[in-house]
Amino acid sequence: MAHTDGTSNGNYSIRVRALQHYFGEGELRKQVLFDNQLDVARGEIVIMTGPSGSGKTTLLTLIGTLRSVQEGSLEVLGQELRGATPAAMIAARRQIGFIFQNHNLFASLTAFQNVKMAMELFSFGPEETSSRITAILTRLGLGHRIHYKPRSLSGGQKQRVAVARGLVHGPKIVLADEPTAALDEKSGREVVTYFQELARQEQCTIVMVTHDNRILDIADRIVSMVDGHIKSNVLVRESALVCAFLQQCPAFSALTPRTLTQVADQMASETHPAGEVIIRQGDPGDKFYLIRSGKVDVIVAADGAPQRRTSLEQGDYFGEAALLTGAPRNATIVAAEDVRLYTLTKAQFQVVLDSSASFQEELRKALFERQ
Amino acid sequence: MRRRVPLVWKNLTHHRQRLLIAVCGVGFAVVLMFTEIGFRNALFDSTVKIFRDLDADVIVASKAYYSLISQETFSRRRIEQARGCPGVGGVFPLYVEMFGAAWKNPDHVAIPIRVLACDPADPVFSNPGIRQCIAALSQPDTAIVDRQSKPKYGFPDAPTELLGLRGAELCSRSVRVVGSFAMGCDFMIDGTVIVSSASLAGYRPLRAWGKDPLSVVDLGIVQVVKGADVRKVIEDLRRILPPDVSIDSKEAFVAREIRFWNDSTPVGYVFFLGVVIGFLVGVVICYQIIYADISDHMAEFATLKAMGYRNRYFIGFILGEALYLSVLSFVPGLLISAAIYQGLARVTGLLMLLTVPRAALVFSLTLAMCTFSGALAMRKVLAADPADLF
Repeated sequence: MAHTDGTSNGNYSIRVRALQHYFGEGELRKQVLFDNQLDVARGEIVIMTGPSGSGKTTLLTLIGTLRSVQEGSLEVLGQELRGATPAAMIAARRQIGFIFQNHNLFASLTAFQNVKMAMELFSFGPEETSSRITAILTRLGLGHRIHYKPRSLSGGQKQRVAVARGLVHGPKIVLADEPTAALDEKSGREVVTYFQELARQEQCTIVMVTHDNRILDIADRIVSMVDGHIKSNVLVRESALVCAFLQQCPAFSALTPRTLTQVADQMASETHPAGEVIIRQGDPGDKFYLIRSGKVDVIVAADGAPQRRTSLEQGDYFGEAALLTGAPRNATIVAAEDVRLYTLTKAQFQVVLDSSASFQEELRKALFERQ
Repeated sequence: MRRRVPLVWKNLTHHRQRLLIAVCGVGFAVVLMFTEIGFRNALFDSTVKIFRDLDADVIVASKAYYSLISQETFSRRRIEQARGCPGVGGVFPLYVEMFGAAWKNPDHVAIPIRVLACDPADPVFSNPGIRQCIAALSQPDTAIVDRQSKPKYGFPDAPTELLGLRGAELCSRSVRVVGSFAMGCDFMIDGTVIVSSASLAGYRPLRAWGKDPLSVVDLGIVQVVKGADVRKVIEDLRRILPPDVSIDSKEAFVAREIRFWNDSTPVGYVFFLGVVIGFLVGVVICYQIIYADISDHMAEFATLKAMGYRNRYFIGFILGEALYLSVLSFVPGLLISAAIYQGLARVTGLLMLLTVPRAALVFSLTLAMCTFSGALAMRKVLAADPADLF
């Protein structure tokens, strides 16, 4: 679901704001990222998709501090990278694990030594170094190949050594470019399962560029980029929840799964504390609301005296009348307790209406019955 | 101490064949430098070897003397005068015929040869071989010969072979070889014989233009008494003797001879240029090796940069590689050069000395060579951009 709230929160490991990026100089200067916004929470697994040239790798290199931020703001692990000194960038880099499409292993070093290169920048003791390397290689199914050189390893094994090298030092963020492309289904699955473990147990954030459909299921969020714009940014799990929830609402139950997903993807979430006015009678209608949890009171001012009409609960919706009729709000809605709402803007609502005759009919019928 | 991954060593030794070629190439440069430096030093060492073989503290020469080849003489009377100087133990005349004499074996035409002459009773030489057999020169028309002269003279390698030596001629007069010693040739002189001054008067009767041939001396060998201050003696001699002679220590004469060859002839410069060329060849080869190694591992280096390795690490990497290459190439280069020195010394009779300071000089040059090429290749590794990896 669309995620646009701008509140500052320490739980985010990556925060991108109004990020623009350009390649080239002077007349050849070409914009490759346009006004990107993105928030990634700690422990989230993000999959970035998009055609080549869409700017996803540029965004990845910016997050990885491999390029300097030109315009906009980019916070990684709470540190603003715009204007960061080279030393600060290198320091930030050490908290990030990189997994590249090519394994980039030193042919002269064994798997163990290649992985060890990633640990030598940190002050791990010799025992810990050795045990961590052995553990991670074993975990990735290379226990019997620890002291082999890349020459004696298969492509998939080499890629897994590279994965181990990217993860062994316990990075807080992992940036991976097609990490499973060189792997067969089974070892690809092993690698992504390990990603999930890291994300769940160590709150490690994982951002992956991949076209591998087999592993899409592990994503918490799927970001899709086109021509330098983030075209969609979907929290997958939340989106599935919204779908399930929508399906239980009578008004939405008739929608096809496809439309349902579309609606869910477009919905934004907002919360209101008890007592807050959500919409006010007489205001123009701009949003459609669906109650995810909590209770609201519907208050109508009749003859100058506000009067509580009814209350609405989880699964109920409101705000559709003003959108359907174009008239101002016909009631004031106040949160009776802390509520969480899903919202659709007027335009999005209109799109859904246009796409589904049954939905429109259902809503009009409900509206009619209410009046 | 934590043991780090020896990446430099591993990378260098991973491609055995490439390393072998590298060591051959850099080793070749090492040998080239050794040979040039060897020749340059052989020129100097061999030329001044005669001074080293003299048992002299101070040497008297003509005022016009500038090198052994200057052939300037002074009056024998100066020798007598010098004997009166306090602190002087002995003064002996040494006659040197650089180019005026020729040696002839029965089966060969006459060849120019250097002739040294002194009274066999005078302790002029410190060379043990000479001291051992010089007494035999008291017989007339005898000579002792330098075994290390060029083979064309047919001088025997061992003293025992002297018995079989056929008759020979020195300056068209018969001469009998009664002993041999080891001195060596230089770039001017192919061979040396020593005769008594009495014999020299017979062989070179006209060396003093109508006067007594022994009345003009080439070098005066001065020995100071034990405990006397050589510098003081030199000053006294300079005061006592007329200004037609120059007086200096043996070391000063050695230095003057070397300066002459180095400054007044192109020889020193030519060999210096040889060293420079050897150095440049080494730089090019070493650069090729290091550059190729970096090029092959650009992605890996960029990955290290992405991990957070600083430029410092890569500079260290290159310098380490340069150091390993220098050491690995210097050792075989040194061994081969030692063999070449020996071979050259045998063939040319030149004095090819492989001393520790000279080996250290070549090692420093090798190190500088590899470091310089490493610095040239440095830009390449610093240009590795991790942003290109995605």
